[in-house]
Amino acid sequence: MAVTNQALTGGYQLLNYRIDRQISRGGFSIVYRAFDETGAPVAIKEYLPSSLVLRTEGDIVRASSAENLTSFRYGMKCFFEEGRALAKINHPNVVRVLNFFRANETVYMVMRYERGRTLQQQIQMRQDQMSERLVRHVFMHLLNGLREVHTHKLLHLDIKPANIYLRTDGSPVLLDFGAARQTLTTNRPKLAPMYTPGFAAPEQYRDPDRLGPWTDTYGVGASMFACLAAFAPQAADARVQEDHLVSAKKIWSGQYSDNVLEVIDWCLRLDPLERPQSVFALQKAIREIPPKKRKLTFFGSLKRRLFTEIGA
Amino acid sequence: MRFTIFQESRKGSRKVNQDRIAYTYSRDTLLLVVADGMGGHAGGEIAAQICVRLFIERFQQEAKPILKNPLKFLQDSMLRAHAALGSYANQFSMLETPRTTCVACIVQAGHAYWAHVGDSRLYLYRQGGMIGQTKDHSKVQYLVDQGIIGAAEVAEHPDRNKIFSCLGGLVDPVIDLGKRTPLRNGDVLVMCTDGLWSVLNKEEMATWLTSTPILKTAPQMMREAEKRGGPDGDNLSAIVVRWGPETLTDEPSTTITETLGLGEFQTQIDHTLTLTDRKGVQRDLSDDEIERAIAEIQATIQRYRR
Repeated sequence: MAVTNQALTGGYQLLNYRIDRQISRGGFSIVYRAFDETGAPVAIKEYLPSSLVLRTEGDIVRASSAENLTSFRYGMKCFFEEGRALAKINHPNVVRVLNFFRANETVYMVMRYERGRTLQQQIQMRQDQMSERLVRHVFMHLLNGLREVHTHKLLHLDIKPANIYLRTDGSPVLLDFGAARQTLTTNRPKLAPMYTPGFAAPEQYRDPDRLGPWTDTYGVGASMFACLAAFAPQAADARVQEDHLVSAKKIWSGQYSDNVLEVIDWCLRLDPLERPQSVFALQKAIREIPPKKRKLTFFGSLKRRLFTEIGA
Repeated sequence: MRFTIFQESRKGSRKVNQDRIAYTYSRDTLLLVVADGMGGHAGGEIAAQICVRLFIERFQQEAKPILKNPLKFLQDSMLRAHAALGSYANQFSMLETPRTTCVACIVQAGHAYWAHVGDSRLYLYRQGGMIGQTKDHSKVQYLVDQGIIGAAEVAEHPDRNKIFSCLGGLVDPVIDLGKRTPLRNGDVLVMCTDGLWSVLNKEEMATWLTSTPILKTAPQMMREAEKRGGPDGDNLSAIVVRWGPETLTDEPSTTITETLGLGEFQTQIDHTLTLTDRKGVQRDLSDDEIERAIAEIQATIQRYRR
């Protein structure tokens, strides 16, 4: 059986936080629910890369070799990047960092605890298609958060349904900034998370110099696409070779407004320059819902009357 | 074989050193390698490191104790390093293949053989004069050859860093092989990266290295060159070999290879490395840096607290 890292057990006292249970486990970390000294719940992310077995018992993280220690410390940098990125952002639609500390020979990030589920879970659970109203609601608010992120000169670079959390009141929270600015370090031998296929823009695979807000708008478009399709669009690196992606407008014409479908197709353009260049541009496009029936202009109605009369 | 050898790599004013240098020898054959990695982030360091390691490993597999065909060894090693960089990028899904220049030299049975890709150079001096040198695979060298610019304009030319052949590039490298050249005692071989030759011309280098004990003057030359590089100074590296027994000083500085057993090797890879080794090509984070990062994040959290 494969040996895995041991999670901290319920009741463990971590500084002034009491661990309750493990919420999730990712490639780089374990997330716990815990309670602070006032009894309020928090989410604590423990840096513990799964590719390196560092804790088989107890609480202290120990590297088994010098080489592992090097990899461990190196990956820690990315964890710091995430902390740095999030610490600056205080926005209702972006996960809030409350504390950051070192213990057990590793590092921890304490975040506000949110109740709800990820958009990914929402997509997988639902029986029928997600309504246009819900899609609009989630993404309009999410884009407010993303705009704040970009205002701080940060790119998220891993926008996907699994990183979008829906609170019980339906408002979204952007999670997991682990990929943010990770472009600074392209080599991570033992610790190599790449971009999420389907949601990563083509320039993330091959052209890191061209990353920009438009890279995140690709992720937004792909996530919207996934809400409608219940699966991710074709991976961008494969699309560059041979594009099999059918436009949203073709697939869902009539089921969703042209506006939403056109926005999805716009975000999913392979050429970064052809996508919405800023979150603001994208928000503006979504907001402009064309009226169901176009009001006829004076000349239009005149023409119609004329034709009716001729026809009659 | 008897020779005196010096090698040093300095960072200049750069944050990281993307140059790698190494030598290794068996009883009868000597290999020298210099690589100057290119590109942003850690790619350049990785490329130069992979290239140098590959040369040394192949040498130790094949020089038992001599190479059958030194020029073929050099050419094959260059091509294999080029292929290795491509597969490394693939393996780790790197966005860009790491790239490097390379100049390598073999001395065997009293003859020197060399090969190069890019703008890292080899100079061979005899009695203070130049008897052999590589010609850069660079845009400016091309312009000089075509008579479009003069040699004096090279140093200030805006494209002076552009090279058209490298290992790990999109196209296969152009590899130049130097012809078999007999060495005499007292000949001085210099292999260096552009960080050195761009601040110190070949006549100056001759002055520093050809009539004085190299172990004394080569370190001074490197310090002087680094100073000349100034606040924008590039990484600079050199391997200097004085062939034959050292006659300029009484100090016992000559390397004598006859004491090595068959199948034995002596290897020196420069250790001014910022990356650890081939397996863990990554930089460590010190305890201090960890504490500082945490303090910085906590301060930011406080500042943005509402």
